[in-house]
Amino acid sequence: MNGRVLELVAVPLRAVRRATLWWAAGLASLVALTMSVWPAFKGSSGISQAMDQLPAGVVQAFGLQDFGTPAGFLRGNLYDFFVPLLLAIAAVTLASGQLASEESEGRLELYFAQPVDRRLVLLGRAAAVLVALTVITVVLLIAQLVSDAAQDLRIDTAYVASTIILSALLGALHGSLAVAIAGLRARPSLVLSVGLGVAFAGLIVFSLFPLSGAIAPWRHISPWDWAFGGNPLERATELWRYAALALPSVILTAIGVVSLTRRDIAAA
Amino acid sequence: MIAAEPLVRIDGLVKHYGKVEAVRGIDLEIQRGEVFGFLGPNGSGKSTTIRCLLGLLRPTAGHIGAFGLDATRDGVALRRRVAYVPGELRLPDRLSGMEFVASIGRLRGGFDPSRRDQLAERLRLDLHRHLRDLSSGNRRKVALLLAFLFEAELLVLDEPTSGLDPLMQHEFLGLVREARAAGATVFLSSHVLSEVQRAADRVAVLRAGKVVAQGTVAELRGRARQRVEIWFEDDPPGLELKALPDVVDPVVDDHRFTATLSGSIQPLLGLLARHQVISMLVEEPDLEEAFLDLYGGAA
Repeated sequence: MNGRVLELVAVPLRAVRRATLWWAAGLASLVALTMSVWPAFKGSSGISQAMDQLPAGVVQAFGLQDFGTPAGFLRGNLYDFFVPLLLAIAAVTLASGQLASEESEGRLELYFAQPVDRRLVLLGRAAAVLVALTVITVVLLIAQLVSDAAQDLRIDTAYVASTIILSALLGALHGSLAVAIAGLRARPSLVLSVGLGVAFAGLIVFSLFPLSGAIAPWRHISPWDWAFGGNPLERATELWRYAALALPSVILTAIGVVSLTRRDIAAA
Repeated sequence: MIAAEPLVRIDGLVKHYGKVEAVRGIDLEIQRGEVFGFLGPNGSGKSTTIRCLLGLLRPTAGHIGAFGLDATRDGVALRRRVAYVPGELRLPDRLSGMEFVASIGRLRGGFDPSRRDQLAERLRLDLHRHLRDLSSGNRRKVALLLAFLFEAELLVLDEPTSGLDPLMQHEFLGLVREARAAGATVFLSSHVLSEVQRAADRVAVLRAGKVVAQGTVAELRGRARQRVEIWFEDDPPGLELKALPDVVDPVVDDHRFTATLSGSIQPLLGLLARHQVISMLVEEPDLEEAFLDLYGGAA
Protein backbone atom coordinates (compact mmCIF):
# COMPACT_ATOMS: atom_id res chain seq x y z
CA MET A 1 0.00 0.00 0.00
CA ASN A 2 2.77 2.44 0.95
CA GLY A 3 4.62 1.74 -2.29
CA ARG A 4 1.45 2.51 -4.22
CA VAL A 5 0.87 5.78 -2.36
CA LEU A 6 4.49 6.82 -2.89
CA GLU A 7 4.15 6.08 -6.60
CA LEU A 8 1.06 8.30 -6.78
CA VAL A 9 3.18 11.17 -5.40
CA ALA A 10 6.39 10.32 -7.29
CA VAL A 11 4.81 10.39 -10.77
CA PRO A 12 3.39 13.94 -10.55
CA LEU A 13 6.45 15.11 -8.63
CA ARG A 14 8.61 14.00 -11.51
CA ALA A 15 6.29 15.82 -13.90
CA VAL A 16 6.54 19.14 -12.01
CA ARG A 17 10.27 18.86 -11.34
CA ARG A 18 11.35 21.20 -14.10
CA ALA A 19 8.62 23.77 -13.43
CA THR A 20 9.54 23.72 -9.73
CA LEU A 21 13.16 24.45 -10.50
CA TRP A 22 12.21 27.33 -12.81
CA TRP A 23 9.90 28.86 -10.21
CA ALA A 24 12.55 28.48 -7.50
CA ALA A 25 15.30 29.94 -9.70
CA GLY A 26 13.03 32.78 -10.83
CA LEU A 27 12.05 33.81 -7.32
CA ALA A 28 15.62 33.49 -6.03
CA SER A 29 16.81 35.71 -8.89
CA LEU A 30 14.05 38.21 -8.19
CA VAL A 31 15.11 38.40 -4.54
CA ALA A 32 18.83 38.69 -5.39
CA LEU A 33 18.18 41.40 -7.97
CA THR A 34 15.91 43.41 -5.70
CA MET A 35 18.29 43.10 -2.78
CA SER A 36 21.17 44.35 -4.89
CA VAL A 37 19.69 47.86 -4.80
CA TRP A 38 19.21 47.88 -1.03
CA PRO A 39 22.52 49.69 -0.35
CA ALA A 40 21.17 52.67 -2.32
CA PHE A 41 18.00 52.77 -0.21
CA LYS A 42 19.55 51.96 3.16
CA GLY A 43 18.83 54.71 5.66
CA SER A 44 17.91 57.10 2.87
CA SER A 45 15.44 59.60 4.17
CA GLY A 46 15.24 61.10 0.69
CA ILE A 47 13.43 58.08 -0.67
CA SER A 48 10.97 58.10 2.20
CA GLN A 49 10.40 61.80 1.71
CA ALA A 50 9.81 61.26 -2.01
CA MET A 51 7.28 58.58 -1.19
CA ASP A 52 5.63 60.95 1.24
CA GLN A 53 4.84 63.20 -1.72
CA LEU A 54 2.50 60.48 -3.02
CA PRO A 55 -1.08 60.29 -1.76
CA ALA A 56 -1.21 58.41 1.53
CA GLY A 57 -3.64 55.87 0.08
CA VAL A 58 -1.33 54.99 -2.78
CA VAL A 59 1.65 54.64 -0.44
CA GLN A 60 -0.36 52.37 1.83
CA ALA A 61 -1.94 50.35 -0.99
CA PHE A 62 1.41 49.56 -2.56
CA GLY A 63 3.33 49.17 0.69
CA LEU A 64 5.66 52.05 -0.10
CA GLN A 65 5.92 53.47 3.42
CA ASP A 66 9.28 53.43 5.18
CA PHE A 67 11.18 52.45 2.02
CA GLY A 68 14.50 53.28 3.65
CA THR A 69 14.04 50.80 6.51
CA PRO A 70 14.81 47.06 6.10
CA ALA A 71 11.19 46.01 6.79
CA GLY A 72 9.76 48.78 4.60
CA PHE A 73 12.13 47.91 1.74
CA LEU A 74 11.30 44.19 1.82
CA ARG A 75 7.58 44.85 2.14
CA GLY A 76 7.39 47.46 -0.60
CA ASN A 77 9.55 45.59 -3.09
CA LEU A 78 8.83 41.94 -2.46
CA TYR A 79 6.39 40.81 0.20
CA ASP A 80 3.52 43.27 0.15
CA PHE A 81 2.09 41.44 -2.86
CA PHE A 82 4.72 40.49 -5.45
CA VAL A 83 6.23 37.32 -3.98
CA PRO A 84 2.99 36.04 -2.34
CA LEU A 85 1.14 36.55 -5.63
CA LEU A 86 3.83 34.66 -7.57
CA LEU A 87 3.65 31.80 -5.06
CA ALA A 88 -0.14 31.69 -5.42
CA ILE A 89 0.18 31.64 -9.22
CA ALA A 90 2.74 28.82 -8.97
CA ALA A 91 0.49 26.75 -6.69
CA VAL A 92 -2.64 27.27 -8.79
CA THR A 93 -0.97 26.55 -12.15
CA LEU A 94 0.84 23.47 -10.83
CA ALA A 95 -2.36 22.09 -9.25
CA SER A 96 -4.39 22.81 -12.36
CA GLY A 97 -1.76 21.21 -14.58
CA GLN A 98 -1.44 18.06 -12.51
CA LEU A 99 -5.16 17.55 -12.00
CA ALA A 100 -7.59 19.27 -14.36
CA SER A 101 -5.28 19.39 -17.40
CA GLU A 102 -3.97 15.85 -17.01
CA GLU A 103 -7.47 14.46 -16.48
CA SER A 104 -9.15 16.40 -19.29
CA GLU A 105 -6.40 15.29 -21.69
CA GLY A 106 -7.02 11.65 -20.70
CA ARG A 107 -3.57 11.14 -19.19
CA LEU A 108 -4.98 9.97 -15.85
CA GLU A 109 -7.22 7.32 -17.42
CA LEU A 110 -4.67 4.52 -17.02
CA TYR A 111 -3.96 5.55 -13.43
CA PHE A 112 -7.64 5.65 -12.47
CA ALA A 113 -7.99 2.22 -14.12
CA GLN A 114 -5.49 0.65 -11.70
CA PRO A 115 -6.45 -0.91 -8.37
CA VAL A 116 -6.05 2.35 -6.46
CA ASP A 117 -8.66 4.55 -4.85
CA ARG A 118 -9.24 7.60 -7.02
CA ARG A 119 -9.05 9.75 -3.89
CA LEU A 120 -5.41 8.71 -3.52
CA VAL A 121 -4.70 9.75 -7.11
CA LEU A 122 -5.93 13.27 -6.27
CA LEU A 123 -4.21 13.37 -2.89
CA GLY A 124 -0.95 12.16 -4.45
CA ARG A 125 -1.05 15.00 -6.95
CA ALA A 126 -2.00 17.57 -4.30
CA ALA A 127 0.91 16.31 -2.17
CA ALA A 128 3.28 16.64 -5.13
CA VAL A 129 2.22 20.27 -5.59
CA LEU A 130 2.74 20.86 -1.86
CA VAL A 131 6.25 19.37 -2.06
CA ALA A 132 7.00 21.56 -5.10
CA LEU A 133 5.74 24.64 -3.24
CA THR A 134 7.85 23.72 -0.22
CA VAL A 135 10.98 23.39 -2.38
CA ILE A 136 10.29 26.79 -3.99
CA THR A 137 9.75 28.32 -0.54
CA VAL A 138 12.94 26.88 0.94
CA VAL A 139 14.99 28.15 -2.02
CA LEU A 140 13.29 31.54 -1.67
CA LEU A 141 14.04 31.65 2.07
CA ILE A 142 17.69 30.74 1.53
CA ALA A 143 18.03 33.32 -1.26
CA GLN A 144 16.48 35.98 0.99
CA LEU A 145 18.64 35.21 4.03
CA VAL A 146 21.84 34.99 1.98
CA SER A 147 20.97 38.29 0.24
CA ASP A 148 20.18 39.95 3.59
CA ALA A 149 23.63 38.97 4.84
CA ALA A 150 25.40 39.90 1.60
CA GLN A 151 23.73 43.34 1.32
CA ASP A 152 23.89 44.02 5.05
CA LEU A 153 20.12 44.30 5.45
CA ARG A 154 19.61 43.99 9.19
CA ILE A 155 16.29 42.45 10.08
CA ASP A 156 15.18 39.75 12.47
CA THR A 157 15.59 36.43 10.64
CA ALA A 158 12.53 35.04 12.38
CA TYR A 159 10.38 37.87 10.93
CA VAL A 160 11.70 37.21 7.43
CA ALA A 161 11.09 33.47 7.81
CA SER A 162 7.55 33.91 9.11
CA THR A 163 6.74 36.36 6.26
CA ILE A 164 7.95 33.85 3.69
CA ILE A 165 6.11 30.98 5.41
CA LEU A 166 2.91 33.06 5.44
CA SER A 167 3.42 33.78 1.73
CA ALA A 168 3.82 30.06 1.07
CA LEU A 169 0.72 29.21 3.14
CA LEU A 170 -1.25 31.81 1.20
CA GLY A 171 -0.03 30.13 -2.00
CA ALA A 172 -1.01 26.73 -0.61
CA LEU A 173 -4.49 28.05 0.20
CA HIS A 174 -5.02 29.11 -3.41
CA GLY A 175 -3.47 25.85 -4.62
CA SER A 176 -5.97 23.97 -2.45
CA LEU A 177 -8.78 26.02 -3.96
CA ALA A 178 -7.52 24.84 -7.36
CA VAL A 179 -7.54 21.24 -6.06
CA ALA A 180 -11.14 21.66 -4.86
CA ILE A 181 -12.30 23.02 -8.22
CA ALA A 182 -10.37 20.30 -10.09
CA GLY A 183 -12.13 17.74 -7.88
CA LEU A 184 -15.47 19.20 -8.91
CA ARG A 185 -14.77 19.58 -12.64
CA ALA A 186 -11.85 18.59 -14.87
CA ARG A 187 -11.77 21.96 -16.61
CA PRO A 188 -8.38 23.70 -16.53
CA SER A 189 -9.85 27.06 -17.59
CA LEU A 190 -12.31 26.95 -14.68
CA VAL A 191 -9.63 25.91 -12.19
CA LEU A 192 -7.25 28.65 -13.34
CA SER A 193 -9.86 31.40 -13.49
CA VAL A 194 -11.30 30.63 -10.04
CA GLY A 195 -7.90 30.02 -8.41
CA LEU A 196 -6.20 33.11 -9.84
CA GLY A 197 -9.38 35.20 -9.69
CA VAL A 198 -9.73 34.62 -5.95
CA ALA A 199 -6.02 35.42 -5.46
CA PHE A 200 -6.32 38.76 -7.27
CA ALA A 201 -9.66 39.59 -5.65
CA GLY A 202 -8.17 38.92 -2.21
CA LEU A 203 -5.23 41.15 -3.01
CA ILE A 204 -7.50 43.99 -4.12
CA VAL A 205 -9.62 43.69 -0.98
CA PHE A 206 -6.50 43.67 1.21
CA SER A 207 -4.82 46.59 -0.59
CA LEU A 208 -7.66 48.90 -1.52
CA PHE A 209 -10.47 48.38 1.00
CA PRO A 210 -8.51 50.04 3.83
CA LEU A 211 -8.50 53.27 1.77
CA SER A 212 -12.22 53.76 2.23
CA GLY A 213 -13.57 54.05 5.73
CA ALA A 214 -16.90 52.45 4.96
CA ILE A 215 -15.53 49.23 3.51
CA ALA A 216 -12.25 49.13 5.41
CA PRO A 217 -13.46 46.55 7.98
CA TRP A 218 -14.27 44.16 5.12
CA ARG A 219 -10.57 43.77 4.39
CA HIS A 220 -10.60 41.04 7.02
CA ILE A 221 -12.44 38.72 4.64
CA SER A 222 -9.31 38.55 2.49
CA PRO A 223 -6.85 35.71 3.13
CA TRP A 224 -4.16 38.27 2.38
CA ASP A 225 -5.23 40.12 5.49
CA TRP A 226 -5.07 36.92 7.53
CA ALA A 227 -1.52 36.44 6.30
CA PHE A 228 -0.08 39.96 6.37
CA GLY A 229 -2.55 42.01 8.44
CA GLY A 230 -0.24 41.67 11.44
CA ASN A 231 2.80 43.18 9.64
CA PRO A 232 4.96 40.05 10.00
CA LEU A 233 8.19 41.80 8.94
CA GLU A 234 8.05 43.99 12.02
CA ARG A 235 6.16 42.01 14.62
CA ALA A 236 5.93 38.40 15.74
CA THR A 237 3.08 36.69 13.91
CA GLU A 238 0.20 35.34 15.95
CA LEU A 239 -0.24 31.57 15.62
CA TRP A 240 -3.85 31.89 14.52
CA ARG A 241 -2.70 33.47 11.26
CA TYR A 242 -0.87 30.30 10.25
CA ALA A 243 -3.91 28.23 11.25
CA ALA A 244 -6.29 30.57 9.38
CA LEU A 245 -4.41 29.77 6.17
CA ALA A 246 -3.62 26.08 6.79
CA LEU A 247 -7.03 24.94 8.00
CA PRO A 248 -9.05 26.12 4.96
CA SER A 249 -6.36 24.52 2.79
CA VAL A 250 -7.06 21.17 4.41
CA ILE A 251 -10.83 21.68 4.08
CA LEU A 252 -10.58 22.70 0.41
CA THR A 253 -8.44 19.65 -0.37
CA ALA A 254 -11.01 17.46 1.38
CA ILE A 255 -13.76 19.05 -0.74
CA GLY A 256 -11.75 18.17 -3.86
CA VAL A 257 -11.34 14.57 -2.70
CA VAL A 258 -15.01 14.07 -1.86
CA SER A 259 -16.15 15.76 -5.09
CA LEU A 260 -13.95 13.52 -7.21
CA THR A 261 -15.57 10.39 -5.78
CA ARG A 262 -19.00 11.66 -6.83
CA ARG A 263 -18.42 12.41 -10.47
CA ASP A 264 -17.32 10.79 -13.72
CA ILE A 265 -13.69 10.76 -14.76
CA ALA A 266 -13.28 12.89 -17.86
CA ALA A 267 -12.43 11.17 -21.12
CA ALA A 268 -9.86 12.47 -23.59
CA MET B 1 -27.23 -28.48 -14.62
CA ILE B 2 -26.64 -25.19 -12.82
CA ALA B 3 -25.57 -22.38 -15.11
CA ALA B 4 -22.19 -20.85 -14.24
CA GLU B 5 -22.24 -17.42 -12.66
CA PRO B 6 -21.29 -14.90 -15.38
CA LEU B 7 -17.98 -13.14 -14.89
CA VAL B 8 -19.31 -9.79 -16.12
CA ARG B 9 -22.92 -8.87 -15.49
CA ILE B 10 -24.60 -5.77 -16.88
CA ASP B 11 -28.23 -5.20 -15.91
CA GLY B 12 -30.26 -2.36 -17.39
CA LEU B 13 -27.26 -0.08 -17.70
CA VAL B 14 -28.18 3.50 -18.53
CA LYS B 15 -25.73 6.36 -18.84
CA HIS B 16 -26.65 9.92 -19.72
CA TYR B 17 -24.27 12.85 -20.18
CA GLY B 18 -26.63 15.71 -19.51
CA LYS B 19 -29.24 15.36 -22.23
CA VAL B 20 -27.17 12.91 -24.29
CA GLU B 21 -28.29 9.30 -23.78
CA ALA B 22 -25.04 7.44 -24.43
CA VAL B 23 -26.27 4.06 -23.12
CA ARG B 24 -30.00 3.35 -23.08
CA GLY B 25 -30.47 0.11 -21.19
CA ILE B 26 -27.90 -2.61 -21.83
CA ASP B 27 -28.18 -6.14 -20.46
CA LEU B 28 -25.20 -8.42 -20.99
CA GLU B 29 -23.50 -11.38 -19.43
CA ILE B 30 -19.97 -12.50 -20.20
CA GLN B 31 -19.01 -15.98 -19.12
CA ARG B 32 -15.68 -16.89 -17.57
CA GLY B 33 -13.09 -17.92 -20.15
CA GLU B 34 -14.79 -16.56 -23.25
CA VAL B 35 -13.71 -13.89 -25.68
CA PHE B 36 -16.64 -11.53 -25.96
CA GLY B 37 -16.77 -9.14 -28.89
CA PHE B 38 -18.41 -5.77 -28.48
CA LEU B 39 -19.21 -4.34 -31.88
CA GLY B 40 -20.60 -1.04 -32.94
CA PRO B 41 -19.68 2.18 -34.68
CA ASN B 42 -18.23 5.19 -32.90
CA GLY B 43 -20.75 6.73 -30.53
CA SER B 44 -22.77 3.55 -30.07
CA GLY B 45 -21.94 3.37 -26.34
CA LYS B 46 -19.13 0.79 -26.31
CA SER B 47 -16.54 2.93 -24.54
CA THR B 48 -19.12 4.36 -22.15
CA THR B 49 -20.14 0.84 -21.09
CA ILE B 50 -16.50 -0.17 -20.66
CA ARG B 51 -15.67 2.95 -18.64
CA CYS B 52 -18.64 2.18 -16.40
CA LEU B 53 -17.23 -1.33 -15.87
CA LEU B 54 -13.88 0.16 -14.84
CA GLY B 55 -15.63 2.46 -12.35
CA LEU B 56 -14.53 5.56 -14.27
CA LEU B 57 -18.14 6.55 -14.97
CA ARG B 58 -21.08 6.34 -12.60
CA PRO B 59 -24.12 4.72 -14.20
CA THR B 60 -27.26 6.85 -14.40
CA ALA B 61 -29.29 3.69 -13.75
CA GLY B 62 -28.81 -0.05 -13.69
CA HIS B 63 -25.96 -2.15 -12.48
CA ILE B 64 -22.59 -3.16 -13.88
CA GLY B 65 -19.90 -5.28 -12.32
CA ALA B 66 -17.64 -8.30 -12.53
CA PHE B 67 -16.59 -11.16 -10.22
CA GLY B 68 -19.73 -10.43 -8.22
CA LEU B 69 -18.36 -6.97 -7.41
CA ASP B 70 -20.09 -3.67 -8.15
CA ALA B 71 -18.02 -1.42 -10.42
CA THR B 72 -18.85 1.76 -8.51
CA ARG B 73 -18.86 0.46 -4.95
CA ASP B 74 -16.05 -2.11 -5.18
CA GLY B 75 -13.96 -0.45 -7.90
CA VAL B 76 -10.55 -1.04 -6.34
CA ALA B 77 -11.15 -4.76 -5.73
CA LEU B 78 -12.61 -5.16 -9.22
CA ARG B 79 -9.78 -3.35 -10.97
CA ARG B 80 -7.23 -5.54 -9.15
CA ARG B 81 -8.43 -8.37 -11.39
CA VAL B 82 -8.84 -6.37 -14.60
CA ALA B 83 -6.39 -5.11 -17.21
CA TYR B 84 -7.56 -2.31 -19.50
CA VAL B 85 -6.55 -0.75 -22.79
CA PRO B 86 -8.42 2.56 -23.26
CA GLY B 87 -9.87 3.48 -26.61
CA GLU B 88 -8.56 7.03 -26.44
CA LEU B 89 -5.03 6.38 -25.34
CA ARG B 90 -2.96 9.17 -23.77
CA LEU B 91 0.25 8.37 -21.96
CA PRO B 92 2.49 10.57 -19.79
CA ASP B 93 4.98 12.26 -22.12
CA ARG B 94 7.88 12.65 -19.77
CA LEU B 95 8.43 8.96 -19.01
CA SER B 96 10.18 6.30 -21.05
CA GLY B 97 8.24 3.12 -21.83
CA MET B 98 10.32 1.27 -19.24
CA GLU B 99 9.60 3.87 -16.55
CA PHE B 100 5.89 3.90 -17.30
CA VAL B 101 5.62 0.11 -17.17
CA ALA B 102 7.56 0.14 -13.88
CA SER B 103 5.25 2.85 -12.51
CA ILE B 104 2.06 0.97 -13.35
CA GLY B 105 3.76 -2.18 -12.06
CA ARG B 106 4.32 -0.57 -8.67
CA LEU B 107 0.62 0.38 -8.53
CA ARG B 108 -0.32 -3.24 -9.26
CA GLY B 109 2.14 -4.79 -6.84
CA GLY B 110 4.87 -5.91 -9.23
CA PHE B 111 5.37 -8.01 -12.36
CA ASP B 112 7.73 -10.50 -13.95
CA PRO B 113 10.47 -8.56 -15.82
CA SER B 114 11.16 -11.49 -18.16
CA ARG B 115 7.50 -11.47 -19.21
CA ARG B 116 7.80 -7.73 -19.90
CA ASP B 117 10.87 -8.27 -22.09
CA GLN B 118 9.19 -11.16 -23.88
CA LEU B 119 6.10 -9.09 -24.66
CA ALA B 120 8.22 -6.12 -25.80
CA GLU B 121 10.05 -8.41 -28.19
CA ARG B 122 6.86 -9.93 -29.57
CA LEU B 123 5.33 -6.49 -30.06
CA ARG B 124 8.63 -5.13 -31.44
CA LEU B 125 8.55 -2.33 -28.94
CA ASP B 126 11.54 -0.35 -27.72
CA LEU B 127 10.67 0.45 -24.11
CA HIS B 128 13.74 2.61 -23.65
CA ARG B 129 12.34 5.39 -25.82
CA HIS B 130 10.40 8.29 -24.36
CA LEU B 131 6.65 7.91 -24.71
CA ARG B 132 6.43 11.34 -26.35
CA ASP B 133 8.71 10.11 -29.15
CA LEU B 134 6.57 7.06 -29.95
CA SER B 135 4.12 6.81 -32.83
CA SER B 136 0.46 6.21 -31.98
CA GLY B 137 0.90 2.56 -32.96
CA ASN B 138 3.84 2.14 -30.62
CA ARG B 139 1.98 3.88 -27.80
CA ARG B 140 -0.83 1.41 -28.33
CA LYS B 141 1.74 -1.38 -28.05
CA VAL B 142 2.79 -0.01 -24.63
CA ALA B 143 -0.84 -0.23 -23.48
CA LEU B 144 -1.17 -3.74 -24.91
CA LEU B 145 2.03 -4.82 -23.18
CA LEU B 146 0.62 -3.55 -19.90
CA ALA B 147 -2.68 -5.36 -20.52
CA PHE B 148 -1.00 -8.73 -21.03
CA LEU B 149 1.80 -8.22 -18.50
CA PHE B 150 -0.14 -8.71 -15.29
CA GLU B 151 -2.00 -11.86 -16.35
CA ALA B 152 -5.30 -10.38 -15.20
CA GLU B 153 -8.44 -12.50 -15.00
CA LEU B 154 -10.39 -10.09 -17.19
CA LEU B 155 -8.92 -8.17 -20.11
CA VAL B 156 -10.98 -5.18 -21.16
CA LEU B 157 -9.69 -4.02 -24.52
CA ASP B 158 -11.27 -0.97 -26.15
CA GLU B 159 -10.25 -0.67 -29.82
CA PRO B 160 -6.97 -2.42 -28.99
CA THR B 161 -5.48 -2.63 -32.47
CA SER B 162 -6.22 0.91 -33.58
CA GLY B 163 -3.06 2.16 -35.32
CA LEU B 164 -1.34 -1.25 -35.45
CA ASP B 165 -0.02 -2.71 -38.69
CA PRO B 166 -1.48 -6.06 -39.90
CA LEU B 167 1.49 -8.01 -38.59
CA MET B 168 0.96 -6.63 -35.11
CA GLN B 169 -2.80 -7.20 -35.34
CA HIS B 170 -1.97 -10.83 -35.99
CA GLU B 171 0.38 -10.89 -33.01
CA PHE B 172 -2.34 -9.32 -30.90
CA LEU B 173 -4.79 -12.07 -31.82
CA GLY B 174 -2.17 -14.59 -30.80
CA LEU B 175 -1.84 -12.91 -27.41
CA VAL B 176 -5.62 -12.96 -26.97
CA ARG B 177 -5.77 -16.67 -27.74
CA GLU B 178 -2.93 -17.38 -25.30
CA ALA B 179 -4.60 -15.34 -22.57
CA ARG B 180 -7.82 -17.22 -23.11
CA ALA B 181 -6.00 -20.55 -23.06
CA ALA B 182 -4.51 -19.49 -19.72
CA GLY B 183 -8.02 -18.96 -18.37
CA ALA B 184 -8.53 -15.24 -18.91
CA THR B 185 -11.78 -13.72 -20.06
CA VAL B 186 -11.54 -11.08 -22.78
CA PHE B 187 -13.99 -8.24 -23.37
CA LEU B 188 -12.99 -6.98 -26.79
CA SER B 189 -14.57 -3.81 -28.10
CA SER B 190 -13.94 -2.96 -31.70
CA HIS B 191 -15.35 -1.62 -34.89
CA VAL B 192 -12.84 -3.79 -36.80
CA LEU B 193 -15.14 -6.66 -37.67
CA SER B 194 -12.54 -9.06 -39.00
CA GLU B 195 -10.69 -8.81 -35.70
CA VAL B 196 -13.77 -9.69 -33.65
CA GLN B 197 -14.75 -12.38 -36.13
CA ARG B 198 -11.38 -14.08 -35.70
CA ALA B 199 -11.07 -13.66 -31.96
CA ALA B 200 -14.50 -13.73 -30.36
CA ASP B 201 -16.71 -16.61 -29.25
CA ARG B 202 -19.76 -14.43 -28.74
CA VAL B 203 -20.62 -10.99 -29.96
CA ALA B 204 -22.98 -8.20 -28.97
CA VAL B 205 -23.75 -5.50 -31.50
CA LEU B 206 -24.50 -2.04 -30.16
CA ARG B 207 -26.45 0.66 -31.85
CA ALA B 208 -27.30 4.05 -30.37
CA GLY B 209 -26.74 2.85 -26.83
CA LYS B 210 -28.64 -0.43 -27.10
CA VAL B 211 -27.74 -4.03 -27.86
CA VAL B 212 -29.42 -4.81 -31.18
CA ALA B 213 -28.04 -8.33 -31.61
CA GLN B 214 -26.27 -10.82 -29.46
CA GLY B 215 -25.05 -14.34 -30.07
CA THR B 216 -22.18 -16.48 -31.24
CA VAL B 217 -20.21 -15.41 -34.26
CA ALA B 218 -21.80 -18.34 -36.12
CA GLU B 219 -25.30 -17.19 -35.17
CA LEU B 220 -24.61 -13.70 -36.28
CA ARG B 221 -23.22 -14.99 -39.54
CA GLY B 222 -26.42 -17.03 -39.91
CA ARG B 223 -28.37 -13.82 -39.92
CA ALA B 224 -26.33 -12.44 -42.74
CA ARG B 225 -27.52 -12.47 -46.30
CA GLN B 226 -25.86 -15.21 -48.34
CA ARG B 227 -25.58 -15.22 -52.10
CA VAL B 228 -26.29 -18.67 -53.56
CA GLU B 229 -25.74 -19.95 -57.07
CA ILE B 230 -26.98 -23.47 -58.00
CA TRP B 231 -26.55 -25.43 -61.24
CA PHE B 232 -29.18 -28.15 -61.91
CA GLU B 233 -28.99 -31.22 -64.14
CA ASP B 234 -32.46 -30.36 -65.45
CA ASP B 235 -34.60 -27.24 -65.31
CA PRO B 236 -34.55 -25.71 -61.82
CA PRO B 237 -37.73 -26.15 -59.74
CA GLY B 238 -38.38 -22.40 -60.04
CA LEU B 239 -41.76 -22.21 -58.33
CA GLU B 240 -40.66 -24.33 -55.36
CA LEU B 241 -37.43 -22.31 -55.02
CA LYS B 242 -39.26 -18.99 -55.13
CA ALA B 243 -41.70 -20.22 -52.50
CA LEU B 244 -38.93 -20.93 -49.97
CA PRO B 245 -38.79 -18.63 -46.94
CA ASP B 246 -36.13 -15.89 -46.87
CA VAL B 247 -35.36 -16.11 -50.60
CA VAL B 248 -34.74 -12.68 -52.05
CA ASP B 249 -34.24 -11.73 -55.71
CA PRO B 250 -34.56 -15.26 -57.18
CA VAL B 251 -33.50 -15.59 -60.81
CA VAL B 252 -33.95 -18.74 -62.91
CA ASP B 253 -31.77 -18.70 -65.99
CA ASP B 254 -31.62 -21.94 -67.99
CA HIS B 255 -30.18 -24.56 -65.60
CA ARG B 256 -28.93 -21.98 -63.16
CA PHE B 257 -30.66 -20.54 -60.13
CA THR B 258 -29.34 -17.52 -58.19
CA ALA B 259 -30.79 -15.81 -55.14
CA THR B 260 -29.96 -14.12 -51.88
CA LEU B 261 -30.88 -15.84 -48.63
CA SER B 262 -31.82 -13.57 -45.75
CA GLY B 263 -32.29 -16.46 -43.31
CA SER B 264 -31.34 -20.07 -42.74
CA ILE B 265 -30.04 -22.14 -45.63
CA GLN B 266 -31.70 -25.30 -44.25
CA PRO B 267 -35.03 -25.16 -46.18
CA LEU B 268 -33.09 -24.70 -49.44
CA LEU B 269 -30.88 -27.71 -48.69
CA GLY B 270 -33.98 -29.79 -47.93
CA LEU B 271 -35.45 -28.94 -51.32
CA LEU B 272 -32.20 -29.53 -53.21
CA ALA B 273 -31.93 -33.03 -51.73
CA ARG B 274 -34.86 -34.02 -53.95
CA HIS B 275 -33.23 -32.73 -57.16
CA GLN B 276 -30.15 -33.39 -59.27
CA VAL B 277 -27.70 -30.61 -58.47
CA ILE B 278 -24.47 -30.29 -60.48
CA SER B 279 -22.81 -27.62 -58.38
CA MET B 280 -23.57 -25.10 -55.75
CA LEU B 281 -21.79 -21.94 -54.69
CA VAL B 282 -22.50 -20.20 -51.40
CA GLU B 283 -20.58 -17.04 -50.70
CA GLU B 284 -19.55 -17.23 -47.07
CA PRO B 285 -21.16 -14.40 -45.19
CA ASP B 286 -18.88 -11.95 -43.57
CA LEU B 287 -19.63 -10.65 -40.12
CA GLU B 288 -19.42 -7.26 -41.71
CA GLU B 289 -22.45 -8.12 -43.83
CA ALA B 290 -24.31 -9.23 -40.75
CA PHE B 291 -23.25 -6.05 -39.05
CA LEU B 292 -24.34 -3.84 -41.92
CA ASP B 293 -27.63 -5.68 -42.16
CA LEU B 294 -28.33 -4.93 -38.53
CA TYR B 295 -27.42 -1.31 -39.00
CA GLY B 296 -29.29 -1.05 -42.21
CA GLY B 297 -32.47 -2.27 -40.54
CA ALA B 298 -35.15 -0.16 -39.00
CA ALA B 299 -34.29 1.63 -35.76
